[in-house]
Amino acid sequence: MTMRNKQTGAGRGDIVLGIFALFLLYALYSSGFFTAAAWQDFNRRFYQNFVKDSRYMMLVDGLKATIFMTSGATLIGLAVGLVLSVIRVAHKGGAHIPVLNAMAETYITVLRGTPAMVQLLIWNFTIFASARDLNTQYIAILAFGLNSGAYIAEIFRGGIESIDPGQMEAARSLGLSYGTSMKLIVLPQALRNIIPMLFNEFIALLKETSVAGYIGIDDLTRAGQNIQALTLEHSQPLVMVAIIYLVIVMCLTRFVRKLEEWLHRGRRG
Amino acid sequence: MKKFLVLLLVLALCSCAFGAEQAKLTTTAQLKTERLAAQRGTVGQYIAEDLLGDNKGTLLTTYEKYVDAIASLRQGKVRAVVMDEMPAKRFLAEVEGLAIMDEALSEENYAIGFRKGNTELVAEVNKALAEMKADGTLDAIFAKYLTGDYTAVKPETIDFNKGAKGGKLFVGTEAGFAPYELKVGSSYIGIDVEMCAVIAKKLGKELVIENMNFDALPMAVSTNKVDMICAGITVTDERKENMDFSENYVVGAKQVAVVRADDYEK
Repeated sequence: MTMRNKQTGAGRGDIVLGIFALFLLYALYSSGFFTAAAWQDFNRRFYQNFVKDSRYMMLVDGLKATIFMTSGATLIGLAVGLVLSVIRVAHKGGAHIPVLNAMAETYITVLRGTPAMVQLLIWNFTIFASARDLNTQYIAILAFGLNSGAYIAEIFRGGIESIDPGQMEAARSLGLSYGTSMKLIVLPQALRNIIPMLFNEFIALLKETSVAGYIGIDDLTRAGQNIQALTLEHSQPLVMVAIIYLVIVMCLTRFVRKLEEWLHRGRRG
Repeated sequence: MKKFLVLLLVLALCSCAFGAEQAKLTTTAQLKTERLAAQRGTVGQYIAEDLLGDNKGTLLTTYEKYVDAIASLRQGKVRAVVMDEMPAKRFLAEVEGLAIMDEALSEENYAIGFRKGNTELVAEVNKALAEMKADGTLDAIFAKYLTGDYTAVKPETIDFNKGAKGGKLFVGTEAGFAPYELKVGSSYIGIDVEMCAVIAKKLGKELVIENMNFDALPMAVSTNKVDMICAGITVTDERKENMDFSENYVVGAKQVAVVRADDYEK
């Protein structure tokens, strides 16, 4: 993960993008897209789907909901993940907290072992069955956040455990306390590995929220479906939704890559 | 990668070469051995299941949305979609190359669904419905949507009775069932929506629409997530076991088979 080969890393993305573009062009070509009539038809449908009655606003509102849910869920996930990983790392580091540790382990096992969508349905229709005045988006944030917390806990733990135990031993032998060695020696190094993975978790979560339509939230995916129901057109709204997701994810991925390079600057590979 | 592409190409060619000519559809009886599609949880699904009998496991595909079912019909993945006549007619008007088989598969009645045992609300809604039938309000709503271009109806013109003192009336629906319910911008239009708006007003409540997947509606009303569900829901004996219904507000809504026009011979 962290030992990315910079030379091929950048190139591979471009090749993938190129192949994707070729596929797209071929698909368009084979469906007779490059004729005047088809182009006119495409324009007419484009107008119907996105321009007429400002229907693009449905996508904008959907995108807002998607980003709101993803951001909220990430914040909850970070808090939960931090608490869980502290418990697990402290337990391994010699703190005597078997009950807490068992609870944390159970939490992680259960929430990572069941699909996020099933959890979402359970939160909405079983646990919060009677909470009707509550905005459904908050329920989704809670469901996705608690789910994400289990993954983020493992990211934190993995990051901390990726640091050579010798570092901790050396710090302790110099007379630093466990907490101080953690804070000054281990965590700063661990963060270098953790931060890019957190952004990856954010990206995964962004895509995961596309099932929120099941509990009646008009997120980006659902907004596309609502346009489909309005215009009865199948492909354009969905492809547009896909493009929006893709653009966001590609921007974030590029950002993560830059961040990674920056975090590892001056470090010998 | 290369091998994979070649394989794909070969498969595509094969499917073109061996696409055998089929006899065209003429009667609904032929559908018993054909691949069918329906929207999940709708009466269309139950009718298709009855038609197919033991073959439903292999021949029936259910989709979350009508648009998906119609798309798979147009792509030749299924030979017919079983659905309500009204939305079917809208597909015919908007999408090329579709036909509705003359022979209807069944006739159904629509009613509003409630949590089992919520007799108080059922009585109140029935009273409101009776008033609307008597004074012509209901007929006016139907007329508005059955003649003319209802997609031009502006949601702002529907009075959701915002800020009503009597609290909120939560209504679950699936806004992909024109002309009964549709999402336009950030609000809703449709026969069911306007009808529920009047009912809410009569009950002194604000109408709140919860837009869900159709197959989630029974769950939503039985867990009290919403007060009632109104989405062109057909009254069936099986559904009566799990929820209570209002009086019918639509009688004799046809269930039809939508097919490809070039695959249908009257």
